[in-house]
Amino acid sequence: MANLDTALKDAMTIDGAIGAALVDYTSGMTLGVVGGTPEIDLTVAAAGNTDVVRAKMRTIEMLKLNDEIEDMLITLGGQYHIIRPLTGSNGKGLFLYLMLSKTRSNLALARHQLRTIEEQLEL
Amino acid sequence: MSTGDTFLPRRTAQQPKLPPPVKLPPSLAGDPSLPYPAIGTELHELRLQIPGVQGSVLGGVDGLLIAHDVPDTLDPDDLAAMAAATFGLGRQVSLRLGQGQFRQSTVRNEAGHFSVYAVGPHALLSVVGADAINVARLHLHAPPVAERLAKLLAPA
Repeated sequence: MANLDTALKDAMTIDGAIGAALVDYTSGMTLGVVGGTPEIDLTVAAAGNTDVVRAKMRTIEMLKLNDEIEDMLITLGGQYHIIRPLTGSNGKGLFLYLMLSKTRSNLALARHQLRTIEEQLEL
Repeated sequence: MSTGDTFLPRRTAQQPKLPPPVKLPPSLAGDPSLPYPAIGTELHELRLQIPGVQGSVLGGVDGLLIAHDVPDTLDPDDLAAMAAATFGLGRQVSLRLGQGQFRQSTVRNEAGHFSVYAVGPHALLSVVGADAINVARLHLHAPPVAERLAKLLAPA
């Protein structure tokens, strides 16, 4: 079992990681942030991606799929962004956000590692 | 028991030494020289940019309304007054803690939010939002709007 700081540190050890954050999508605010670059403000990314997560959740609800998001992948020219909502009972309303460099990362491995981090995260 | 010579001398009422009354700047409310169309655009843009914003009000720290962009269901004069009350509490907290000027205050209720941002030293921007509003996004977006509004109010 890992706490918030350890989980975010673990997320940064994933190959190609640029930054990671734990975000509350009811408010868009971050509970923790690691990495990022002077150009990339992860709190801005968190607030913006909150709208992405909410939109997708609403769509699933409207389509009456009766399912939930396991993870979301957004592919940019030079980056991968992975969003993973927390499933534990104390992680309701939160998601993990991971930014990866496309050239330095292994997407399948990163996704697997992020799942492990999410499963072990205890708040 | 003789009290003949222990009477205290009769004292005349003394006026307490009060500092001279503070000269307050004239209220921003009702000033015809303000650029109202530009202010209106800023308030309107805020509602368009952030989903969940129900309306916004620009008021003076005296609680008087300057301009607003709220639907009929909300009373802009009430909101301006409540913003000033929120500011009053925020200012006292800041004075007591020595933390400088008031910047922002948010009240979260069961079914919505009420946020107040300082617009320069004499005005306040208050925003009414739905419960589902992205507060982080509002906090990123509103301070630059407040800064622009402060510039619009500055020449007044």
